[in-house]
Amino acid sequence: MNPDDLKYHKEHTWIRPSGKKVTIGITDYAQDALGDIVYIDLPEGDTEIEANGEIGEIESTKATSSIISPVSGRVIKVNDDLTETPELVNDDPYGKGWIAVIEIDDAAELDDLMDSSEYAKFVEEEAK
Amino acid sequence: MKLAILGSGPGGYVAAVRAAQLGAEVTVIEEDEVGGTCLNWGCIPTKSLASSSEMFFRAKRLQEFGIETTGNISPNFLKILERKNRIVNLQIKGIRNLFKFHRITLQEGRGQLISPSEIAFISKNGSHGTVKADRIIVATGSRPFQLPGFPFDGKQILSTDDVFRLDAIPRSLIIIGAGVSGCEFACIFRQLGSEVTILEKLPRALSTEDTEISEIFERELKKRGIRLLSNITIDKIDTRDGSVHVFLTDGTELRAERALVSVGRSLNSNGIGLEKVGIMKGARGEIIANEKMETNISGIYAVGDVIGGHLLAHVASAEGIVASINSMGGNERADYSAVPSAIFTSPEIASVGIRGQQAEEMGIKVRTGHFQFRTLAKSHIMGEIEGMIKIISDESSDRIVGVHMIGPHASDLIHEAVLAISKGLRTKDISGIMHAHPTLSEVLQEAAADVHGEAIHAQKK
Repeated sequence: MNPDDLKYHKEHTWIRPSGKKVTIGITDYAQDALGDIVYIDLPEGDTEIEANGEIGEIESTKATSSIISPVSGRVIKVNDDLTETPELVNDDPYGKGWIAVIEIDDAAELDDLMDSSEYAKFVEEEAK
Repeated sequence: MKLAILGSGPGGYVAAVRAAQLGAEVTVIEEDEVGGTCLNWGCIPTKSLASSSEMFFRAKRLQEFGIETTGNISPNFLKILERKNRIVNLQIKGIRNLFKFHRITLQEGRGQLISPSEIAFISKNGSHGTVKADRIIVATGSRPFQLPGFPFDGKQILSTDDVFRLDAIPRSLIIIGAGVSGCEFACIFRQLGSEVTILEKLPRALSTEDTEISEIFERELKKRGIRLLSNITIDKIDTRDGSVHVFLTDGTELRAERALVSVGRSLNSNGIGLEKVGIMKGARGEIIANEKMETNISGIYAVGDVIGGHLLAHVASAEGIVASINSMGGNERADYSAVPSAIFTSPEIASVGIRGQQAEEMGIKVRTGHFQFRTLAKSHIMGEIEGMIKIISDESSDRIVGVHMIGPHASDLIHEAVLAISKGLRTKDISGIMHAHPTLSEVLQEAAADVHGEAIHAQKK
């Protein structure tokens, strides 16, 4: 299930807030829909990103799709383990499959995001 | 009718055979080996290396296909070159046999026009003479362009020709120029195990390709561990302590065992007597020829790289045929409406017609259809799922105006699109015909259908 301590974006990304630094990743629903992930084009460290903007791309055996950032800020760390083992995103999307750490500009942006139960409903609606 | 042809590359030798078929008495003057750059230093040898490197790359994936291996597999560059030589020699023999069969005289030596009907030649052993002809076709080709100030030394600073004289795979390699050859060599050497860095002064690799294609290609470079530095300017290149040091104007210093300079071609239009007979040249030294391949001097034609333009072997051959027919009294024009290009990177890239960005610049209203190779069963069967095809059609007529692809066998798949564009076919003409299943050709059918949102296996957008 989707952890309760995270915030969710409609493009199926999550963030874990901890002060000005937030960790982001893709949701379990997203990894399941994509299927076996074979490559993740990670953002470069130190790049500025915008909320709802693309920060990278995921390739699975079925599809390629953009990773959309839920927040604006600056990339301060990326999960380099995903270069060699992108399947971590399939195995552990909320843990070892994290994608990047972002220093956020505006904490108010987090208020626009969904909590776990809202996201669960959103996914249910979208699947209809 | 006596016809003399200066140069025996894909322009010259094809012209020779076609003219002989039409009854001409043909002499070809060639200073080096028959086949020109294409056969001796270009298309054929590079693709032979690409095949060896691809074989190694795939061999490392044997287990994925259920094949157990024991022991090591490793590339041996000298043996890779031996294989390349066998292939080249076989093709050389083939051209020489074609000449014999068509009773074409091959005059070895460096030729120079001395009048509109005479070519003087001097061979390597010093023998010389003159070939007289009623018509002449100039097909002298091109050679690697030297960066001013950074001359090739053949050992550490290499031209694309020098690569075939290496005795081992470089541990590290800096490639200057992310054009077609630069990117092909980058993939070849990376797959053979070199650390590869490509330097490019423009914002992206393969900048003449459709932007969507070069974006995907840049991602494939990243996946393969090839470093691309674009938007850079080189300040200087030093060779010392057995390595090449490249200094960029932003202060970065890069070091590698060798550097390969691949920044374009110089045209072979000097020292061949063009001035003597008054043949007009353009700003880049290209011989000016019209669509009938006629130069400004009556009876003298020019084809291939030396007239500038596409610098592609198949364009040279097509022009050679036009020149031959016209030299024999015909009235043919070269048709450049559907020129395919094929880039033998990993994965391959191929295109024909206008690029997406060109359509925008030209203000043409277009529709586009896309399809991913990974959607096809055949791609998964082959274990090559990377890549995408894009079809551009004219919005009002539905005629296909551009097709661009990156993916397995793109260089073979493109020809359905070449036929479509040259015959003015519509997307429905491709989506409406059967494509055998399971084959890679299904990408064309699906992308054509996707132009109208009708692809059966389309990804949810």
